[in-house]
Amino acid sequence: MDFYHYAPLWGEALLTALAVLILLLGAMTKNGGKLPGYLSLVGLVAALGLVSSNLMISRPATLFFFDTISVDALSQFFKAVFLIVSLLVVIASLSRYTGKGADEYFALLLLATVGMMIVSSSIDLVTLFVGFELASLSTYAMAAFDKSKKNLEAAMKYFIYGSVSSAFMLFGFSLLYGMTGSTKLADVAAIALADFGPATLVALLFVIAGFAFKMALVPFHMWAPDTYEGSPALVSALLAAGSKKMGFAAAFRVLLIAMVAMRMEWYLAFAILAAVTMTLGNLAACWQDNVRRILAYSSIAQAGYIAIAFVVVGAAYGDAPVNVLNLGMFPADQLGIAGALLLILGHALMKTGAFIGSAQVASLVSKSDAEDPDDISNYAGLGRRAPVTAFCMLVFMFALAGIPPTAGYIGKFVLFSSAIYSGLVWLAVLAILNSALSLVYYLRIISYMYLKEPAGPKIAESKGYMAALVLTMLAVFYIGVFPDQFINWALQAATVLLPQ
Amino acid sequence: MISNALSLMILIPLLGAIVSFFAGTRAKFVALIASLAPLVLSLQMYMEFDKSSTMMQFVESYDWVPSIGVKYTLGVDGIGFPLVLLSTIVSVLVIIYSWGETKKPNQYFALLLLNEVGVLGVFTALDFFLFYIFWEIVLIPMFFLIGSWGGPRKDYAAIKFFIYTHVASLVMLLAIFALYFTYQLPDGSRTFDMLTLLKATQNPEIFPPALLNIIFAGLLLGFLVKMPAFPFHTWLPDAHVEAPTAGSVVLAALLLKMGGYGLFRIIVPMLDYVDKAFITIIAVIAVLSIVYGAFLALAQKDIKKLVAYSSVSHMGFVTLGAVALVPLSIQGAMFQQFSHGIITCVLFMSAGTIQHVVGTRIIADLGGLADRMPKFAVIMMAGFMASLGLPGMSGFVAEFMTLTGAYATLPTYVMIVVFLSIVITAGYHLWAIQKAMFGPILRKYMDVHDPHAYELFSMSMIILLTLLFGLQPGLMTDIMGTAANQLLQPVLTLSEMGVI
Repeated sequence: MDFYHYAPLWGEALLTALAVLILLLGAMTKNGGKLPGYLSLVGLVAALGLVSSNLMISRPATLFFFDTISVDALSQFFKAVFLIVSLLVVIASLSRYTGKGADEYFALLLLATVGMMIVSSSIDLVTLFVGFELASLSTYAMAAFDKSKKNLEAAMKYFIYGSVSSAFMLFGFSLLYGMTGSTKLADVAAIALADFGPATLVALLFVIAGFAFKMALVPFHMWAPDTYEGSPALVSALLAAGSKKMGFAAAFRVLLIAMVAMRMEWYLAFAILAAVTMTLGNLAACWQDNVRRILAYSSIAQAGYIAIAFVVVGAAYGDAPVNVLNLGMFPADQLGIAGALLLILGHALMKTGAFIGSAQVASLVSKSDAEDPDDISNYAGLGRRAPVTAFCMLVFMFALAGIPPTAGYIGKFVLFSSAIYSGLVWLAVLAILNSALSLVYYLRIISYMYLKEPAGPKIAESKGYMAALVLTMLAVFYIGVFPDQFINWALQAATVLLPQ
Repeated sequence: MISNALSLMILIPLLGAIVSFFAGTRAKFVALIASLAPLVLSLQMYMEFDKSSTMMQFVESYDWVPSIGVKYTLGVDGIGFPLVLLSTIVSVLVIIYSWGETKKPNQYFALLLLNEVGVLGVFTALDFFLFYIFWEIVLIPMFFLIGSWGGPRKDYAAIKFFIYTHVASLVMLLAIFALYFTYQLPDGSRTFDMLTLLKATQNPEIFPPALLNIIFAGLLLGFLVKMPAFPFHTWLPDAHVEAPTAGSVVLAALLLKMGGYGLFRIIVPMLDYVDKAFITIIAVIAVLSIVYGAFLALAQKDIKKLVAYSSVSHMGFVTLGAVALVPLSIQGAMFQQFSHGIITCVLFMSAGTIQHVVGTRIIADLGGLADRMPKFAVIMMAGFMASLGLPGMSGFVAEFMTLTGAYATLPTYVMIVVFLSIVITAGYHLWAIQKAMFGPILRKYMDVHDPHAYELFSMSMIILLTLLFGLQPGLMTDIMGTAANQLLQPVLTLSEMGVI
């Protein structure tokens, strides 16, 4: 067997081996101390190095394992996002999860990452499902990790909703297989195109419902606020920034190929889905008092923005494409997917940062206060109590609202402009108005942190959290100030999904 | 002249902001130095400025985000340069005026410097992408200045200010997208270059009137809200009344000028190519702002609110002069921007000084302060005279030029209405100062005294400038005259000017 042939997949292999190793270590030693955390840190950095060594793969993609795994620019983009999120979560967890149980936590985290990476590379329905389940099962366990009552409730909700959505997805997959006799995405799309009947529609609806649960699109979003609020905050970071993006990775692969192949006039359905998702997410966030619930609803709204990419692609390939303004340097669909990818990257960073920030606050105030540690009143005067955390949170809030020069701004800029480009002016206007609406609750958090009198004395910020927060904050600024390479990267990743 | 003077001028306050944030109580010295440097640079530039040239001067241009055609382009001409000078002068004086600030001085001075960065960027950026970033950056320091150092309703005022103006900016951004995607360079690529796009809007084959009208309306809304013009002025009184004195000064002297600048730079060159109804609409808005602003000011009990509404009225002259579309009126309107920028500083500083010396700003509660505050009374009197348009001071010249120019194109009855409003203007100024400063001193004010020397110094410097430009308006109007003539000609791009 040619070892070097599999070089592009060393990252996944490394993380899997490491997860097993950490579990074995945990079984053999009574108390591993901080070892599991540091091992995962090193492993993730190495994996990130391996992935970024072949970041910009031009077509054709390299295929592995009987053409079920594809390593291309798109998969590498998503893998980099997942690895960065996991890395940040691990850095923040270093001081939080030590000693007994730490081995399980970090092993689960690594396995979840591997699952997400597999999903981003899958071009086969079965592999996709296996990756999806690996990531989901690991995160179900993580959601209950602190074993508080709230954790258990959150994990239970997440598990039940997640299982149902997996069942939907699997049912859709099996229908597709039954009709086409193949599990390969390309074959499924081609055969379904030739013989498109009501059964195909039903199958696709099931698949969409399955993905929409993971992406937390309205009306499949109910689980998200409860789970993000109830899970350990660092796990919420992984769920919102990583596992949710996995839904998008899968949806991009499956739905976009299907949409392009079938040239269906679906964009209106997706446009309504996107519009409703962002509006409901933002409106609901305005009424929350729990910061993690605010972040959860804001992440639903962001999913609505990202879904604009489906609309743009649908509009470009539908039966009756909407009138595209005179075509220029990029096709609108390429720009749309690139914008969505940029927003996914930016949102992954901002949300990880924001949840780590909330974890920091919760861990500091919960010692003294038995009430809800995520209540917004705990953020009063945070600017003076915990200056570094507050400043990073400030940057994330502005970035999430799309204020320049940040990663959030660049993502929205490219994505919304692609909507204008494809003539979907009403959607762009709605998205932009939503973006302004979201300021209501982001500014509310900011005004609590900086404009209110402190709720208590100055607090000592934990180093692990601070390192993760500052790194994320710098990355958010870096992408905002030097966006060129990221835009090029996203544009290239977008070409993978589009026909030649 | 050192190269990259404009970049340096933006960079120094930015670094100064970071340094003064960490400088604790010494922040004011850092801030003074970091704001003096741009002032020296801009005076040096004034010496070297070619007043007869219609070219962009001190141009810098670098690729920034080549993948989507964004360049980092700075440059000034007769439209932008006077405002650059205004910004550097006002920033220094406002920092001197705030010398005694004791509440979180490091953040306070850092925010003032950050504000300078934003406005200088807006007045020099020649790329829409860059322009928009600076345009948005300005909101952040002002939000915190109002929210942290403001009056009793500061939270409400800060959030209202941010969201109101942000929504308008977003509408402007949509219009910028439309400009960007409609025009293609000869080689098929796209650009955010401001002058290139403006030149393209003057070609009906590229921008059909129907499309251009929509784009124009979007841009216009962005600028009118910032000005602010009736009926979009409602954010202004709240922001002004709650803001600390320095915040009000910067808001009225610099932030409002961004709207006026946009009017000259972007709106006026497009006016000939859009529906003629727009000219009527803008003229009506201008006249209503002048008259309604004056009447609102007349009705105020709070001296700061009176000054705030007088800004609405005075900025109406800018709109009126711009839309009258003759060189003299445009020149006058540009001079009105500069003149109002300095005069309003004295007015807001006076209101602030009265507030902290006497403890109230309600005009009815004041009386006879001149008896105890003779120096202050002289300066405040001079400021109010300048504001009501006393000949010999800059306000008179500006309004005289605007109205003389506008007389040529606007109907006579409009001019009569405007002239009548000048009587109202004189009325509220005289009434306010008479009631507050003169007459017998009230018993409770027996032991008030003149304010600190640094406050008097800032205000008297501005009075001197007002006199200087009132007696020698040519110092500034020569530059503006060239630009005003050029504005009525077709737009030249930077490469046609031969400057890059």
